[in-house]
Amino acid sequence: MSLLDLKLLRDLRALKSQALAVALVMACGLAMMIMTRSLILSLDTARTGYYERHRFAEVFSSLKRAPKSVAAQIAALPGVAAVEASVAMQVTLDIPGMAEPATGLINSLPDRREPILNRPYLRTGRLPGPGARNEALVSEAFSDAHHLRPGDSISAILNGRKVTLRIAGIVLSPQFVFEAAPGAALPDNRSFGVFWMREEELAEAFNLEGAFNTVALTLAPGASERAVIAAVDRVLEPFGSLGAHGRKDHPSDVRVTDEIRVLKGLSFGFPLVFLSVAAFMTNAVMGRQIALQREQIAILKAFGFTNRQIGLHFVKFALVIVVTGTLAGVFGGWLLGRKLVDMYLLFFRFPALDFQLATGALVAAALASSAAALVGVIGAVRRVAALSPAEAMRPEPPASFRPAFFERIGVARWFGVSFRMSLRNIERKPVQAALTCAALALATGILVIPNSFRDGINHILNFQWDVSQRQTVTLSLVEPGPLRALADFRSLPGVVHAESFRSVPVELRTGSRSRRLAVSGIPADSHLARVIDANDRRIILPPQGVVLSKALADNLGLKPGDSVILRVLQGKRPERSVPVVALAEDFAGVAAYMDMEALNRLLGEGDRLSGARLTVAAGRWSEFLSAVKNTPQSAGVVVKEAVRASFRRTTAESIGLIQMIYLTFATAVAFGIVYNSARISLSERARELATLRVLGFTRGEVGSVLVGELVILTLVALPAGLVLGSFMAKAILVSVNTETVRLPLILTPSNYAFAVLVVATATAFSAALACRRLNQLDLVGALKAID
Amino acid sequence: MNPSAHTPAGQPVSAEAVFRVRNLGKVYGTGHAAVRALAGVDLDLHAGELVVLLGASGSGKSTLLNLLGGLDSPTEGHLHYRGWNLGHAAEAALTRYRREAVGFVFQFYNLIPSLTARENVALITEIARNPMAPAEALAMVGLTPRADHFPAQLSGGEQQRVAIARAIAKRPEVLLCDEPTGALDVHTGITVLEAIQRINRELGTLTVVITHNAVLAEMADRVFTLSDGRIQNSHTNSTRRSVTELAW
Repeated sequence: MSLLDLKLLRDLRALKSQALAVALVMACGLAMMIMTRSLILSLDTARTGYYERHRFAEVFSSLKRAPKSVAAQIAALPGVAAVEASVAMQVTLDIPGMAEPATGLINSLPDRREPILNRPYLRTGRLPGPGARNEALVSEAFSDAHHLRPGDSISAILNGRKVTLRIAGIVLSPQFVFEAAPGAALPDNRSFGVFWMREEELAEAFNLEGAFNTVALTLAPGASERAVIAAVDRVLEPFGSLGAHGRKDHPSDVRVTDEIRVLKGLSFGFPLVFLSVAAFMTNAVMGRQIALQREQIAILKAFGFTNRQIGLHFVKFALVIVVTGTLAGVFGGWLLGRKLVDMYLLFFRFPALDFQLATGALVAAALASSAAALVGVIGAVRRVAALSPAEAMRPEPPASFRPAFFERIGVARWFGVSFRMSLRNIERKPVQAALTCAALALATGILVIPNSFRDGINHILNFQWDVSQRQTVTLSLVEPGPLRALADFRSLPGVVHAESFRSVPVELRTGSRSRRLAVSGIPADSHLARVIDANDRRIILPPQGVVLSKALADNLGLKPGDSVILRVLQGKRPERSVPVVALAEDFAGVAAYMDMEALNRLLGEGDRLSGARLTVAAGRWSEFLSAVKNTPQSAGVVVKEAVRASFRRTTAESIGLIQMIYLTFATAVAFGIVYNSARISLSERARELATLRVLGFTRGEVGSVLVGELVILTLVALPAGLVLGSFMAKAILVSVNTETVRLPLILTPSNYAFAVLVVATATAFSAALACRRLNQLDLVGALKAID
Repeated sequence: MNPSAHTPAGQPVSAEAVFRVRNLGKVYGTGHAAVRALAGVDLDLHAGELVVLLGASGSGKSTLLNLLGGLDSPTEGHLHYRGWNLGHAAEAALTRYRREAVGFVFQFYNLIPSLTARENVALITEIARNPMAPAEALAMVGLTPRADHFPAQLSGGEQQRVAIARAIAKRPEVLLCDEPTGALDVHTGITVLEAIQRINRELGTLTVVITHNAVLAEMADRVFTLSDGRIQNSHTNSTRRSVTELAW
């Protein structure tokens, strides 16, 4: 080992706590980046492999009913590679041990062959035998939620007839990586599950023998998805098609894509902030270290060391910090990534989701950190190298000061001496002060972000659900029924209030943009389903026009006052131009609302309803549920509290976990920044502080001189940090919010108070640590050496 | 023990020794690395005296000054300040002692660069019990016109005179000067020494000056010469010379 390297080791030992503080901040940034990039890689790899192996289709369409011969017509269309036509029906389930009814989506399995597309992955058990009766496969998400095993039985109402289904096996499907009820924005694996039965039995139960109501296909190489979709729509139009769509509109795939998008947003913003702070800290530490070693550098130069050798020596110094930070960051990112992969298995059902370390990102991040650190070192070394050895060996000239701005404008008389010293120090090194202030503001700001996520979730959980959705339960009919069905719902035991709704698949079109979704018809004076605008005000649905969720309006480029073409995708398929009357603020999916009477008029089928929202007396809940289980015409039951609990259990918990990780990192960074600033201040002013101790100042008094500057900078940084944090939270929310789930930007006083408290505590704690080092000041030595 | 009980500011000259030093020794390090900086020093210092400690580098004079100033503790012997055992005082008591009883003047001035001359003095008067006004202290060293300048705007001699004003503004009982002219040219050094002598005369402050410059011996009441950590020679001047009369 060269002697310069030995010096390096000893210098590092002397500077270890500061070097560690910098490495810690860098490690936090890298860990977050590696965690998110690795999760993206893991999800993407798992998805691609799964889709290929299990032949996930590329175009999908649902229809009312078409004879099997139509499937052959589709197969013959140019650009179509393979077609799978099947039956899929939504049913009500009676699960042992569950009070409320659940909803199931039963898909058909071809009777005498393997499915060509969307092949299920058998986790345990076996497939139903060819032509087997009363046997079903169940999705793993649902079976996990209910602890179902092969051999267990459940009851389902198939077209009004209650049948008992025996579970043959537990499966996964590329169609249901994310398993949520059709149209539901949030998963609830207790109340919704996916099943597969042999086609013959399922078709027979729903009078669909020799027919199909759902079709999936893959594209031939080079085929245009758009052209194939248009052709499929033309073929299926007479059969009640709801319109074909590609993978990008597939409800399961879109969720995986959205999650990857969220991760991409997180993999950039946070780490960028952290790594910038780490780069600044490295520069500050190295700059100070080089300034302190000015005379040593001069001596080395006098002995004939080249600028290059000396530069390399300090570059190595910075690299040790960077390498330590990188190693810790990789390890942290790997550890957290593995933990989060397990969490993702709760939402995304892949046969296997293996953690894959994103090595490319790792290399890029390590290079970026090294480069940032080196820029600072090289700048500082150049300044020292530019001096002749003789000049550098002389002590630096005394720092020159002048009265601070506050004194010049005449308010100085309110300040004590140590406060003035701090002000003048700040003003003498404005760049350093500004950078420290910026780093502290960043530390404050990054603390605001994770808590704004938490508050956003709480807003959804506590406010939005209670304000906009006030029903206890939503029941939907298999087919739209006459208004008297509402009276039947009203007569169910315990029902206090009932309101009908109509839900109709439509296509909204404006210019070249279009979107298919279900428009909700709700009574204009609805008490249970209230449409809320961005200012939390209720929107009264007018007798004309449509209210769109803001996400949908953005997607279509519409604003209130514009017109949109509304084409109904069922029945008589009327098409009208309707005005957009208002925008609704909601947090999940996309939605369009109309006054129910207006919608029924547009449909021209008379007054009909798709289901009802009910409030039920708490005391008669179980009585109500058992009555619903035996209501044959009811196809779907959504219990609001169950959805909310599921959201709390899954989405909220996962965002909560990520929030905790980020909060921990943000706190660590706040401590790192403050501690580092205090240490640099201590090293710069060691002689001054030792003098004060000699002159009879107590440790506490000297401590207050030491931290005075830091306190002033913190006081300036805190409000700036809160403003910055609010903007960063908004920017990150915008980048991670997707059409499927949107967190509102909620900034609460308690969030701000927390950020202030953490940074204030970090300041106090770091200041205390730095003050402890005042004990180690060499009082006599400081009087001898001039610097 | 509260040192201030023994140091009412402006106390008149008394026959009782301010410092009683017996067999004082200081060893740095242990075992083979041990270095004896001071050994078997005996002396009494009285109020109002101006004492010069002469010696070459490594003679132990700075060690002795550090012990007298409460910056360090002896490893052997007795060190009493007004009957109070300074040698065994705790850290906090030493701080209080330095704060209330001792004024320091250092070779390199050790002014706070971010404070003006007046503020450097005020820094001490703010924490002292019965200080003089900063302007009065600065006037005593002839720096009234430079009171609002920062250290970087002052010459070396001016900076040292600010340091003296800072040291005496609290009306200390002891003024300890460590090579006060070591960093100054002769002419500037004279103005600084004049200030020290004037303080000693007008305030009656026990003043200890350490130097390797033998010329300064004649301005003192008593002179001690140190070598190898011991007092080799002590000498009492029948008359003190004024600084301007010294043979530079």
